[in-house]
Parts: sequence; C-alpha cells; structure tokens
Amino acid sequence: MSDRILDMNDLSVAFRGNEVVHNVSFHIDRGETVSLVGESGSGKSVTALSVMQLLPYQYASHPGGSILVDGQEVVGAPEEYMLKIRGAQVGMVFQEPMTSLNPLHHIEKQIGEILYVHQGLGIREARERTLELLELVGLQRAEERLRAYPHELSGGQRQRVMIAMALANEPDLLIADEPTTALDVTIQAQILNLLNDLKQRLDMALLLITHDLSVVRKMSDRVCVMTDGNLVEQGVTAQIFSNPQHDYTKHLLAAEPSGDPVSAAPDAQVVMAANGVSVVFDLAKGLFASKRVLRAVDNVTIAIRQGQTLGIVGESGSGKTTLAMALLRLTASEGDIRLHDTSIQGLKSEALRPLRNKIQIVFQDPYGSLPPRLSVNQIIEAGLKIHEPEMTALQRRKAVVDALLEVGMDPDAQDRYPHEFSGGQRQRIAIARAIILRPEIIVLDEPTSALDVSIQAQIIDLLRDLQHRYQLAYLFISHDLKVVRALAHQLVVMKDGNIVEQGPSEQIFSSPKSWYTKALMTAAFDLETTDQNDID
Amino acid sequence: MTDTTVTPPTDGYVRDDTLLPRWQMSPLTKRRWANFKANKRGYWSLWTIGTLVFLSLFAEFIANDKPLMLKYENEWYFPVLIAYPETEFGGVFETEAVYSSSAVKEMIRDGDGWMIWPLIPFSFDTIDLETEGAVPEAPSSRHWLGTDDVARDVTARIIYGFRLSVLFGISLTFFSAIIGITVGATQGYFGGLIDLFGQRLVEIWAGLPVLFLIIILTSLIEPNPVALLLLLLLFNWMALVAVVRAEFLRTRNFDYVNAAKALGEKDFTIMTRYVLPNAMVATLTYLPFLLNGSITTLTSLDFLGFGLPAGYPSLGELLAQGKANIQAPWLGLAGFFTLSIMLTLLVFVGEAVRDAFDPRRSAT
Repeated sequence: MSDRILDMNDLSVAFRGNEVVHNVSFHIDRGETVSLVGESGSGKSVTALSVMQLLPYQYASHPGGSILVDGQEVVGAPEEYMLKIRGAQVGMVFQEPMTSLNPLHHIEKQIGEILYVHQGLGIREARERTLELLELVGLQRAEERLRAYPHELSGGQRQRVMIAMALANEPDLLIADEPTTALDVTIQAQILNLLNDLKQRLDMALLLITHDLSVVRKMSDRVCVMTDGNLVEQGVTAQIFSNPQHDYTKHLLAAEPSGDPVSAAPDAQVVMAANGVSVVFDLAKGLFASKRVLRAVDNVTIAIRQGQTLGIVGESGSGKTTLAMALLRLTASEGDIRLHDTSIQGLKSEALRPLRNKIQIVFQDPYGSLPPRLSVNQIIEAGLKIHEPEMTALQRRKAVVDALLEVGMDPDAQDRYPHEFSGGQRQRIAIARAIILRPEIIVLDEPTSALDVSIQAQIIDLLRDLQHRYQLAYLFISHDLKVVRALAHQLVVMKDGNIVEQGPSEQIFSSPKSWYTKALMTAAFDLETTDQNDID
Repeated sequence: MTDTTVTPPTDGYVRDDTLLPRWQMSPLTKRRWANFKANKRGYWSLWTIGTLVFLSLFAEFIANDKPLMLKYENEWYFPVLIAYPETEFGGVFETEAVYSSSAVKEMIRDGDGWMIWPLIPFSFDTIDLETEGAVPEAPSSRHWLGTDDVARDVTARIIYGFRLSVLFGISLTFFSAIIGITVGATQGYFGGLIDLFGQRLVEIWAGLPVLFLIIILTSLIEPNPVALLLLLLLFNWMALVAVVRAEFLRTRNFDYVNAAKALGEKDFTIMTRYVLPNAMVATLTYLPFLLNGSITTLTSLDFLGFGLPAGYPSLGELLAQGKANIQAPWLGLAGFFTLSIMLTLLVFVGEAVRDAFDPRRSAT
C-alpha cells in the first residue's frame, strides 16, 4: 500500500449542469492532516462528499477529474465497490452530533452495525470491539453507555460516538466535516486533541473541513483554501499563515476578529441594572411528582453603562440568553431590573410598552429573526408605528432609508423580502430594526455566531461604529471569546446560571481568577484542555 | 460568499423613487401562482367552476318564468326586476301578472307588445301546468332535463340549486374558518391553561353525535338557509383548529416573534401580522376540501329531508326524488352529475392549491 491515501486531480462537481467546484486537486499522505478551509458556499463540503461519492447523484455529476483512494478510482465506481470503501477505508464524522446519530437505536447497535457489515463479526466480538472503540475515543463509563440512546448523551459525547463509528474499521482516511462547530469551546479542545491523538495512534490520514482558522492552525500539516468552488491556495500551514499568497487567503486571515473596544468612560452613567435576578423553570409539576426546578439564572447582578459593552460569556446552558430574555421582560423572572431609575420588573405590559424602544435585541440566527412574510420595509418600520405614531407613511419610509444606509445597506433593499438576502445582510437588517428606535441599550445575542468570519468582522466593525456614534450600551452575549475581546469593556463569565467571574474585560483576559475562566480561555485561544475541566 | 453591501452615499443623497412605496407581488406569491398554473387540471377547474358560479349568480336571467323585458303599448317593462300587477296590462287581478298564462300573453299581444323570455322559461318553483304527459316527465325540447314529480323544470332547479349549494358552502366554510382560526390561534399563541382547556373543549365538542343533534334541532326550529347555516356552523368550526394551533405553537417561539415583543407590538398584532401568515398555508390548502365537505353536508341533510324546507331549490331534494322515482332516471342522473362534477372540480382546485403551497415544488 502506498503512502498516498487520497489523490484528487482536477475534480469538478456540477449540480443540474451548474458547475460549483472547479478543477480541484490535492492529495493526502498517510499520517498527515490536511485542512480544507473556506466560507459557507465555497464548495468544501461538496468536495469532501465526492470522496465518499455521497452527493445526490440524481442532480449532481462530475464533469471531470479523478479521485484515487489508495490508488483506486472512486469517481464513477460501481455502488457495490463504494459500499466497501465507505466506513472501511474512508470514515466520516459530520458536524451535527444531534442529527447524525439515529435517535431510535442505542449506541451498541449503531457501532455494531458497521462491524457486522464490514467485518462480519458476531454479536459478542462486536460488543468487545465496540467497547474497545468507545474507550479509544475516551467515552467515560463506556460499558454502561453501550445501551444509551443518543438523547442521553451530551454533544461532546455524541461526537465521540460518531468518531468511534468512523474508526470502527480502522480507515486509512478520516474525513471530519466541521467536527467541532456545534460544540462548546472546552469540548472542542477535547475533541481536537482526541482526533490528533487517534491519527497518530492509528496512523491514518485526516481531512479536516472547517471555517475556523484557529482549528486549522492547531491541527493541520497542510492547508487548502477554497472559495467559490476554486482551490485558490495550498501549502504548509505555517507558511500559509505567515506568508499568504492569494488575495482571498489574505482577506480570510485579516478577517479574524481583532481591534479593541470603542473607547468609553469607565464611570459612564448606568442605563440598566439587574439586582439579584433569577429565572426558575419548573421541570416537573404534578399532583404526585415532586416538584423539580431548574434555576437557569441564579441571583445575577449586573450593570450596563452608557456607551459601553458588557460581554457575557459562557458555554451552552449557562443561562446567558435566558438572562437577556429576563432583562427584556420576555421571560418571567425574580429580582429587581431597573432601566435608569424606573423599576421595570413589576410593570404591566401596557406600562412597559412606551419603554420598549429603549432596549432592543439582535438575535443569533439571521434566518429565524426576520419574519419571512413581511418586506424589509415593513419589518423595520414596525417599531416606528408603535413608538412614533404621529409619523406619516412617507416620514417612516425616509427613516427606514436612513436606517438602512446606517447599517450599510442599499435603500432599495426595503421592498424586498428577507429570503433574498445573505446571512450578513439579514443581520444588518436586524440591526437596522433595532437602531431605528434610537435605543439606549441593544442586547446582542450571539449576533456573529452564524456568520462567516469575513462577514463577522464587518458586523463587528459596524457595531463598534454605531456604538461610537450613538453612545449605545451593548449587552453582548457570546461563546466566542475572540469576538468578545474585540467589543467588550466589562465581562461577565457565567456557568450553570451563576456568575463565575465579573470585572473589566482587559483584566479578566490578562489574569483570569477562577479556574473555569482559565479553562475557557485556554480552550478558546490555545485550543487546549485544562485538567480540572476534563470531566466529560 | 462575500457580503455584497453598498457603501452609503457620503452626501446623504437618496434617489427620490426609493422613498415611494412600490407595490409588487412578493416573489413567493409569484412562485405559488406559477405552481398553481402549472397544475393544468386545477387551473382549468378553477376557471370552469368560477364561470359556473358567476353565471349562476344571474340565475334569474337564465331561468325564470317572467320575461326579461316586454313592450306593451309603446312602453318598456322589466318583469324580472319589477313586479307588475296584471291590471297594468288591462287584466282584472291586482296580483302580479302570470306571463306564461295564455290570458296575459293575449293581453300583451293585443297591446301591440312582445316579450323576450329567458333561455329557460321556468323558475325553480314554476309548476308547468301545460305539460301533457304524466309527471315526472322525461327530457324533451320543452324541459331539457325533464320535470320532477310536481312538474317543475329540473334544469331550472339545478341552476338555482347549484347557486344555493355553492353560496351556502362558501359562507359555511368562511365562517368556520374564521372561528377555527381564531380559536386555534388563541390556543396556540397563549398556550398554557388556555390551550389545555380550549383543547379539551374542542375534543368534547367534536365528540358530539353531530348528525343526530342537527336532526333534532332542525325539527325544533323552522329551518331556513340562515338558521341551517348557524346550526351547521356550531359543529363545523373545529376542522381548522388543530392545524392553526400547531402552526402557532411552533412559531410563537421564533426569534422574530420575540423581536416583535421587544419592539412592543401588541399580542393581537403579533398574532395577525407575524404568526398568522405561516398558518395561512395550511389553512388555504385545507379550504377547498372544507368547502366540499360543507356542500356535501347540506346535500345529505336535504336528501334525508332534514335540511331546507320544501320550496327551496335543493340538490339533495332532487336526489331524494330520484330515489323515490326510480322509473324516472333523469332525476337521479341529473342530481348525480351536477354534484359529482361540482365536487370533482373543487377537489381538482384543492389539489392545485396544495401544489402551489408545496415548498418542495419549484415552478418550471
């Protein structure tokens, strides 16, 4: 067997005659990690799926090129041959651990199936091998978990099971399609370490598809950069990062969130303060069941100052979004919430309405946060109709145009519908909807998480610009510490509904006090795990 | 993919026409209309049923026992629109003239006049006294589809009966949809106890033996179309509750609903403007079939004799006559074909509407 595991030559992919990947060539040798980097729509996943011949071939075709896996051509290979390749010579790990496991079968059955099919093992042998695999991928208490169903496992554990499945037949090549995108940073670090470790132990090749440059830098020996279906640059990782040749690579590298927060007076006026706010959800309630509650937010005290950004970081389930919903009075909570000197906690919805223009929100998912059936104009002007009822239709239209210009959009956009815009543009529309009311505070709930890095940088610049111009106070919720560092003046670290650490952001970034904050920082910036947190 | 944004003009200049609202069919609506038209069968069914309904609205001008217009002693009369006493034409009775009687015809001829008759010179309740054979009479050039057992023209009854069925069906569907959407929306949007109790109420209500209740109730009150409509409405509104409720339950947690709440929108506005459009797809897909159901309900009640009282042109009653007079097959056949063609056309339209709203289908 040669050392060249994968050799792709001039591969093109077309959907319904539309070529989406053009003449891509690269190769992977045994023991090597190659990253395929690019933004959404660059064709990186399509290229990877071609290796497995898993594209929807009723629409898709390969106008040209060849893919050699272990020296054997797979393009146009008969299905029976591919069945032997998939899962045996080439394994694959997908992005979504939630949907890539079958929810109706327990773990043993899902991993065992691969062993029956490819190796013809019996039940007992399969079980032993499954256990071995689960221990290999570091799933704790593997024996108990053989009978576990996917919903009983956390995201990181599911991803471990996925990797175990991919490794079941000791493939020569493991394709990992955004394996850590859906995971929290500390888990991400664990999974990356695991992949690296396994690659060395099993002496296989790893094709890593990702949009995250820090993952690339940590993991890969070589990098292939893709944009618009073209492979524009490839080379040794260190070289690409230090001396990018192609414009797009430079653009991508420059797009990493950077810069400092807008300068602001540290003793600026407090516009919003929360004192001992708790949000409690009933988990089980009934005549006979004992009452169980989840304290999603537990006794949190924060203050948001004019012109400043309060960053809230934490992993999923830490209660950061719930806290924002409580501050907006969109979910019931206890404790005192003040907007300037008015306590808004007890206000009825009628009394609260006139104050609603002071605090606005921008959500994470630019696809779910705009009503699909309303035009951009109708979406943005809705707030004006409520808070400035005396404005005429023409005045409102003028205001919408101004708001669109302010977020850097063409005013002609207003007679179009949300689905006609890209994710970044939609996020701009969502920001326009918030700023048209001239709020004092904007809650930004992961506003950049769903966006490509270059768009992310644009949105961060826009947010900084708006903050500077209107002295806006931001409550910035994110799990991405790099983005937070670029925006936040004050920082709150949350875990399990509690504040772990709180203070000026510079101070926390330079010398974190609690072990959790430290673990978070190491995981986010160095992609390394910290012992104390290694309890998955 | 890069973000294509436009740098704002630095001088703040905005083209005038961007300030003027422009109306246009949203791209989604356009695509749906194209999908609808792509289903040829449904498209032509819509035109056919639309034309038939439109024509039947003018039933009085197509089938009537009064002339469209007449000339009598150099004056114009419009008996279809205005009731003239017989004395107007030199007769003796002060009641409305019976234009089909030979006496009135003679009077008008004597006054140098003439009459223009509608295509079918009988109304739905005209009893043809001049008929020669035994009733029910077989189809002839005088009665195209024959007469029923009291010598009324079947063609005329079908035209009027079709109109009544369709209008009744449309009103019943319309009001059912309004109540159903309101209840479903309220339950789905507010959830919690409102949903819990609302849903139990709907379940109990839907469990009532509807047919028996209607039979009992129609024997208590004197049924007329409006009373019957209200009665059927009582038991017909639940059809849409489930779909609308499900759609509201799903949508109420979307970010854009939260964003609307953060803007300070009232619940009613959020329900109607933000959430309802999502539920409309399911609703509109359902409506043609609901309409079919409504028409069938009225027809079956009439067939059983618990529907509209005698004197109303009713397709169900025609079917009942066909059953009673098996020796006169034109009665049953006429009723059968009218109903089956009408219901089939509506199903075809319904299928096309379903296609139009199918997101997986793209107009080609």
